[in-house]
Amino acid sequence: MSAVDETGGAGAAAGQSALAGARAGAGSLWRRTLEAVRRIPRAGRACFVIAFVNVAIWGIVVPPFQVPDEIAHFGYAQYVAETGKPPPQGPVAQYSPQEQSALESLYFFSVIGRPQMRGILTGAEDRALRQTLATGQSPIGQGGASSVTDQPPLYYALEAIPYWLSPSHEILTRLALMRLLSALMAALTVLCVFMFLRELLPNWRWAWTVGALAVAFQPTFDFIAAGVQGDNLLFLTASLTILLLTRAYRRGLTTGRAVGIGAVVAAGTLSKLTFIALLPGIALAIVLLAWRAMPDGRARALKAFAIAVVVAAAPVLLYALLNVTVWHRGSPTAGGVAGATNSALPGGGVITLRQTLDYTWELYLPRLWFMHHSYFNSSPLETIWLPGVVGHFGWLDYTFPLWVYTAFRDLAVALIVLALIAAVRLRAAIRPLLPILVCFATMAIGLLGAIGYAGIRYQLSNGTQFQQGRYLFPLVAFYALFLVAAARGVGRRWAPALGAALVVIAMLHGLFAETLTISRYYG
Amino acid sequence: MRVVLAVALAVGLGALALDMSRAAPRTAGSNHVSPAVFAAVVPARGELCEPLPPLPSDAARAQLLIGTYGPPVPALSLRYLDASGAIVASGQLTAGVPQGVVSVPLHRVAAGSATRACLRVGGSVSKIALGGEAGAINAGSEYVNGKQQPGLVSIVYQRAGSESWWELLPTLAGRFGLGKASVLGDWALLAAALALAAVWVGAVRLLLRELT
Repeated sequence: MSAVDETGGAGAAAGQSALAGARAGAGSLWRRTLEAVRRIPRAGRACFVIAFVNVAIWGIVVPPFQVPDEIAHFGYAQYVAETGKPPPQGPVAQYSPQEQSALESLYFFSVIGRPQMRGILTGAEDRALRQTLATGQSPIGQGGASSVTDQPPLYYALEAIPYWLSPSHEILTRLALMRLLSALMAALTVLCVFMFLRELLPNWRWAWTVGALAVAFQPTFDFIAAGVQGDNLLFLTASLTILLLTRAYRRGLTTGRAVGIGAVVAAGTLSKLTFIALLPGIALAIVLLAWRAMPDGRARALKAFAIAVVVAAAPVLLYALLNVTVWHRGSPTAGGVAGATNSALPGGGVITLRQTLDYTWELYLPRLWFMHHSYFNSSPLETIWLPGVVGHFGWLDYTFPLWVYTAFRDLAVALIVLALIAAVRLRAAIRPLLPILVCFATMAIGLLGAIGYAGIRYQLSNGTQFQQGRYLFPLVAFYALFLVAAARGVGRRWAPALGAALVVIAMLHGLFAETLTISRYYG
Repeated sequence: MRVVLAVALAVGLGALALDMSRAAPRTAGSNHVSPAVFAAVVPARGELCEPLPPLPSDAARAQLLIGTYGPPVPALSLRYLDASGAIVASGQLTAGVPQGVVSVPLHRVAAGSATRACLRVGGSVSKIALGGEAGAINAGSEYVNGKQQPGLVSIVYQRAGSESWWELLPTLAGRFGLGKASVLGDWALLAAALALAAVWVGAVRLLLRELT
């Protein structure tokens, strides 16, 4: 036998061995995944399926590209899918010729922001669209700077998978499949909410389903999840982080849980830079978890802590390095952090720390006597946050009738009172959870502070409002917790009934939001 | 629990049924130009022409935003022409309606595809302004008295008669499948409604199982 034959034989044997190993590894991973799925309570799996189908329906109801910034998110994902790298940014075309011509043929630019305008309503217009799509415009763009190109690429890399798997190269078919991935992320977020409530409130079985379904039918959450929108991975990773931290608080910080927390934190940071606002609270929680693990072994606790930090930091550092060295995107964060933190105003002058603090306070709370400048004409709670969460759809161009927001405001006040009653009644049960709740509060304050910090810079530079209700949705797990706490406020006996009523209100809220959407685009 | 769910669902779905019984809007389509600004000024006895996307087959009225600087709107004559210049549809409005959104009844006079619309203005006022969008002069811009000008005038089409949302459902179903992935058709709205009904049944069953 010649040397070539021997080498070839050895290579083939090694190849077969590697293939067998890979198969065994994949089989093992599949088995473990199935076991993990089986460990999820049946109700949790049902909530997942309900959420997925519900959001998939939303994905059909909302016309292509009518979810806020969907054109930019799709453009980013298409660039990643076609070139294998994130957009270089710069003053060149933002979208591929294919996307640009589709947008024009859909009359996209005459529909957004103009609630009286419709897109394609006739067969003749649809035929003209199909003819344009059939011309074979290039799907490869130049990757010019858009509102999202300074974000990390994880969501867009994941969206490249359905883009590639699409049986058709038609842009609208690809978009529809990519929307299904967003629906999957939303369903996983709902599952995380279910598991979080189960972990935090193990004796309130009714509350797991109520909280998860209330999120599953929340129409603003569903509207964002209906589109190709990077926020969906942010909501998922934030909810998963909250779940894993709660689990580790309840059960201890093991090496496996530390790896899980670190991996999800890395994924969150690489999904959208907003996740950075949650990091102080997450860091505090990891320190707390390691400190609580000290009695079981100092070295083991420190090792778990270090693992969580390294697993979280390594992919982010690699991304920063790639931005500077391989992708040449200008800076370690591709300009994302610099863009949001630039304090210089276009006309000269600098936004001070005091202005930022005043603005951030006024964004959520009534202005105090020593705050000289009023940044808002009316309470942002009533003009931004409540309407934003209840429903401000499309490219912020259609809403419910005014009375709906008034009714939800009154409902919210009643639920806040009930939640406070529950907190007082259950204070003894809450006390052991206080340390992790403080960490969660720090996460929430971090997010609210970041919205204020970026908001004043955007508002004073552009003269328009920055905030939208969806910016709060990384905390959607706490929204579910608030609702079940409010339901518990009426007492143990009636809590499930009020919880069920809240879910039905959410279902009807979602249904009317869908009919409103149908009348907006097709009526 | 069953009572709570039954009452809440009955109230909600009853409200939906009532809401669907209201009169639905009569939109048939538009030329995809919004009346954002006054985009053209046409003198008395002048004519404005502009290119068009296809005229919806069910268009029975054309809405224009007209400013007259005070007096009533003069007589208007609206013609839709095909590529050869033949009239496909036309409409007349007698003088006297107040300025604002004005509705001109349309009549189909021939089969064919309109490629441009021309509006002739009567002589009872010195000029009128028409709502639309501004823009640079290009191949798609409007002409006033034969001279090309920047901008396009907005035309919104309305259907004839009146319908409730229930009666409009077949039309909605037809529109629902347009402008989307080619696999979707006019069956998509019904499929979405059935899927949503299944989701609701699943959610209610889950609540009954987990909460009682």
